[in-house]
Amino acid sequence: MPASAAQLKLVAAPEHDAAPDLNELLVRVGRGDEQAFAQVYDELGASVFGLARRVIRDPARAEEIAQEVFIQVWQSAARYDPARGNAKSWCLTLAHRRAVDAVRHDQAATNRENRYDWSSGPDYDEVEETVTITLEHEQVKRCLEGLTDLQREAVNLAYYQGYTYAEVATALDANTATIKTRMRDGIVRLRDCMGVSA
Amino acid sequence: MSVDLHSLMAPYALDALDADERGRFEAHLDQCVDCQVEIAGFMATAVRLGDAVSHTPPPALRGRLLAEISTTPQQHPVVSSLAERRSLRRALPRMAVAAAVLVGAVGVGGFVVERDRAQDEHAQNVAISNVIGAEDVATKAKTFDAGGSVKLYSSAAADSAVIIAKGLPSPGAGKVYQVWMIDQAGPTSQGTFEKGGQMIMTGVSGADRVAVTVEPTGGSKQPTSAPIATIAV
Repeated sequence: MPASAAQLKLVAAPEHDAAPDLNELLVRVGRGDEQAFAQVYDELGASVFGLARRVIRDPARAEEIAQEVFIQVWQSAARYDPARGNAKSWCLTLAHRRAVDAVRHDQAATNRENRYDWSSGPDYDEVEETVTITLEHEQVKRCLEGLTDLQREAVNLAYYQGYTYAEVATALDANTATIKTRMRDGIVRLRDCMGVSA
Repeated sequence: MSVDLHSLMAPYALDALDADERGRFEAHLDQCVDCQVEIAGFMATAVRLGDAVSHTPPPALRGRLLAEISTTPQQHPVVSSLAERRSLRRALPRMAVAAAVLVGAVGVGGFVVERDRAQDEHAQNVAISNVIGAEDVATKAKTFDAGGSVKLYSSAAADSAVIIAKGLPSPGAGKVYQVWMIDQAGPTSQGTFEKGGQMIMTGVSGADRVAVTVEPTGGSKQPTSAPIATIAV
């Protein structure tokens, strides 16, 4: 390599390190680049683990699920198309669905063991409190606070606890049509409040 | 019906549908261009909720993952024709803006299947590594003059065997290689592959040998040709 090229690379390098393009990295993961995978993990590990932990609660189980999510990212990254969405959304959507499936699966196993416990429902105050305290992103927190109680509870139970809307309806003693409407109103309001463009 | 499914958009974006409804909604989503545009914004909103609860993972996770991926095979990209991609673009002019559709929209249906497949593959990879890494593993190989090899790893302790075929010549148009486990009762099909592949077989303690034959695509119920390889277990 000519000296000038090497020099150029040295100068350009810090900028690259500062802002690795996650979409590009994920594309490289799809081609088997293990180093790119490590960088994707460094960028998204906390988001994926945090989401799994929020939904699943048990940190050890959440770690297991986060591991499965990243293995799945590795296996299916070749199917990721940057033209259709950004890498972070792709990974977090995958992580959320997997966490929800895990929590429902575990729940079903618990129900089989203790059928009589099912009707007792969640402890509401506790749910609300934890979600509010640990939300790191100020804007998201503020936007959630801007919802009506029913909208917020419906969104919280579904997204952060993995409830189906039918379970949300039972827990909140409302009918399913009302819950679907509240979820819709809630998510529209959140979208507009966060300035999500779509 | 379609009005009913439309009301599932927000629950879908929040992952609040059970598996049946999720499937039905995704089938609807494939057909509904208006839904695809709206769901993109809903899903992007859900991602923001998810990203707001980040938490530093235990440090050991990174090392475990890097070790695991180094032995985990990857899926290949889905090939779609240029015409398909063009018609998709025409149908979804606003999708580029709504890039966060991620898996959303057209990808969603296939995504679920992909997830299940990835899960199965993951379990299978673990099982395969367990046999290959077993303390009592016995290895036998057959190489072919025309190129390629078939290797059999068996572990009595795991009561399993793994067969790995590499670089075999093409079995010919409309044909595949089929693997058989043979015991006193006769051959039992273990699956098919083209030029190469790996598969795990369980319950091998009663088996005498493993054979590979060339069969019509889809495989046969019983071998219809002489084996190209027979390996004693």
